[in-house]
Amino acid sequence: MVKVTIDGIEIEIPKGTTVIQAAEQAGIEIPRYCYHPGLSIVGVCRICLVEIERMPKLQVACYTPATEGMVVHTNTEQVLEARQAVMEFLLVNHPLDCPVCDQAGECWLQNFYMQHALHDSRMFENKVKKSKALQIGPNVMLDSERCILCSRCVRFCDEISKSNELGIFNRGDRAELQPYPGTELDNDYSGNTIDICPVGALTDRDFRFRTRVWYLSETESICPGCSTGCNINVHHNDQRTYKAGGSRVSRLKPRYNPDVNEWWMCDAGRYGFTHVDADSRILAPTRSIGEEQEMSWGEAASEIMTKLREVISVHGKESVGVILSPQMTNEDLFVARRFFRDGLGLKHIDFEVAPLTTGAKDDFLIKADKNPNTAGARLLGVGARQGSGMTVAEMLEAARKRKLRALYICHHDLANGFAVDVVEEALTAQDLVVFQGPNTNSTSALAHYVLPAAAFVEKTGSFTNYAERVQMIHTAVTPLGESKADWQIFRSLAKEAAISVPYFEAEDVFQALTAEVEAFSGLPYAGLAGQGIALRDGQALPESETVVA
Amino acid sequence: MSKVAFSQESLSEFERIVAQYPERRAAMLPTLYLAEKEFGHISPEVEVYVGELLQVPAIKVREVLTFYTLFASKPRGKLHFQVCRGISCDLRGCTKIIEHLQEKLNLNSEETSADLAYTLSEVECLGACETAPMMQLNDDYHGDLTTETVDLILDEKK
Ligand code: SF4
Ligand code: SF4
Ligand code: FES
Repeated sequence: MVKVTIDGIEIEIPKGTTVIQAAEQAGIEIPRYCYHPGLSIVGVCRICLVEIERMPKLQVACYTPATEGMVVHTNTEQVLEARQAVMEFLLVNHPLDCPVCDQAGECWLQNFYMQHALHDSRMFENKVKKSKALQIGPNVMLDSERCILCSRCVRFCDEISKSNELGIFNRGDRAELQPYPGTELDNDYSGNTIDICPVGALTDRDFRFRTRVWYLSETESICPGCSTGCNINVHHNDQRTYKAGGSRVSRLKPRYNPDVNEWWMCDAGRYGFTHVDADSRILAPTRSIGEEQEMSWGEAASEIMTKLREVISVHGKESVGVILSPQMTNEDLFVARRFFRDGLGLKHIDFEVAPLTTGAKDDFLIKADKNPNTAGARLLGVGARQGSGMTVAEMLEAARKRKLRALYICHHDLANGFAVDVVEEALTAQDLVVFQGPNTNSTSALAHYVLPAAAFVEKTGSFTNYAERVQMIHTAVTPLGESKADWQIFRSLAKEAAISVPYFEAEDVFQALTAEVEAFSGLPYAGLAGQGIALRDGQALPESETVVA
Repeated sequence: MSKVAFSQESLSEFERIVAQYPERRAAMLPTLYLAEKEFGHISPEVEVYVGELLQVPAIKVREVLTFYTLFASKPRGKLHFQVCRGISCDLRGCTKIIEHLQEKLNLNSEETSADLAYTLSEVECLGACETAPMMQLNDDYHGDLTTETVDLILDEKK
């Protein structure tokens, strides 16, 4: 440990800590462009200059290690002057097109200009022209004139995605960031370059011009795209819903979690939220026997329960199959377990459907299991592998032979795991098929009743990722139409069946869950928000155990 | 795999160079220099080849290559005239020298003749102000230029 003093604040930090990091720990933010804690340090932008006593010249805070007894000043006249000079240089050839720049409002040139520069331009020369609005990959647009050559994106492609697409060519005021001739910025993580570009040089093709960032609200959540469970912020547009075609969720951004995704997320997850505002959303409980008819939740619950009881009384409890989903939260699954297994006494409950085409994976973030809560479902024991009931495949086979008479299916599009005719034969042979999920699919099309479930951005709950880390999603936008959280749907059905589900909030469910399920026992609800809690102290399961085979 | 390769001679020279550095990529500049000698200019294929030799992605070679204006990434003539445009040469009449060369070689500045005989460039100060106006022809400096001495040089080299 070494002791340093920064702006009069004395702190102790591990040896090797840089001045910029030390200042952060002392609660002082030194401006930076090129420095990013997840990338190598290059010290090229010079905005982080600070005064260090007994050093003749200003030093870059990002590169300089803090040493014993060092006294640093981040706010002296000399430092402020230097910052202003750096800003002036950075803006010499900058096009100043903020009014049409998508980064405006979250641009570090704007922020630091307001905080540290506020100079009048002294430039009368013509600005150097470079390429603008250049599509450099499937997700990223480049405006070279706005680039300040901090090289963050280059280092990201070298060090994180390891795909080396970007480089800085030529020099001086002709230097320009470009992909290698003949290639595109096209890798599984390319969207992160947009996040880390401190200016409007790299912008998001998907998000561009959809809304100004100051209209966005932010809610902490977890990406449901695979079993990694990258921590994210959901950026939603509550104020101007008529913009961007009425879509409420504008974009997803990675949220730092050192134990899961650090600063990053994959493109599939980043752009994979469109189902939330898609036309395929189910808006109301619907009866699809003969003519399609919308119903109230009360009607739907009572009709479904009547039919279910009928099936059970004639053919027995073994004639009903329940297919839950690893897309559902721990809370959803716990209430499902309470209702179907403990309440109705059903035996055939499963949740795993092995996809016909195995999901892509890599050795960084992307997992083959494209579900956020497979581990949670296993720990809750709602799979055939954990109990003694039929697997989904066995259920479909039994349904075809009419050994099963009713199927309750959550979220799954069974066509992803089985041949279309297998699913069709099985489902059409049933007396009752209920589908519950946020969006219609080929399975819901075969159901007698379709119930609208809230999407992941519309509810609160927790997922357990592949490494058995329990992490929370929060309600960002209100459920569309009549939809509600899966566990609330089960609660309505349970009420009809006089089964007690005494929970009002997701938190109540969670408390009951931790009291009842050994694997989760003692987990504090309050501690889940933010970074989540690892059930096994960060010990990851071997992948073979966690991937839906 | 790249489509070009060093001759045996250049390859052993490369091995000698690379052995002098703690890291292969550190030998970037001398390797580019060697490659330019062997291939005349650093084409995209040569870029890839140099990257393979140094075990870095070709894009890293390109970054260095484009940073230095002294490397040729396009074909250059056998005779490369680089006329200094520095302030001393300007005061001492380099414009006349340049115009004269343009006429004689039938080229604009920064152009290469179709037969790859000549390239004419205007460059920043070459650090030989005492002989202004001056130019560099391939590896040699020629100073105190007049249109007549330029003609003499041209006759000699043709
Ligand atoms: S595009 Fe952005 S991240 Fe990349 S070098 Fe330019 S300013 Fe930096
Ligand atoms: S790696 Fe998985 S959890 Fe992370 S962003 Fe991609 S899909 Fe989402
Ligand atoms: S942040 Fe230190 S030089 Fe760029």
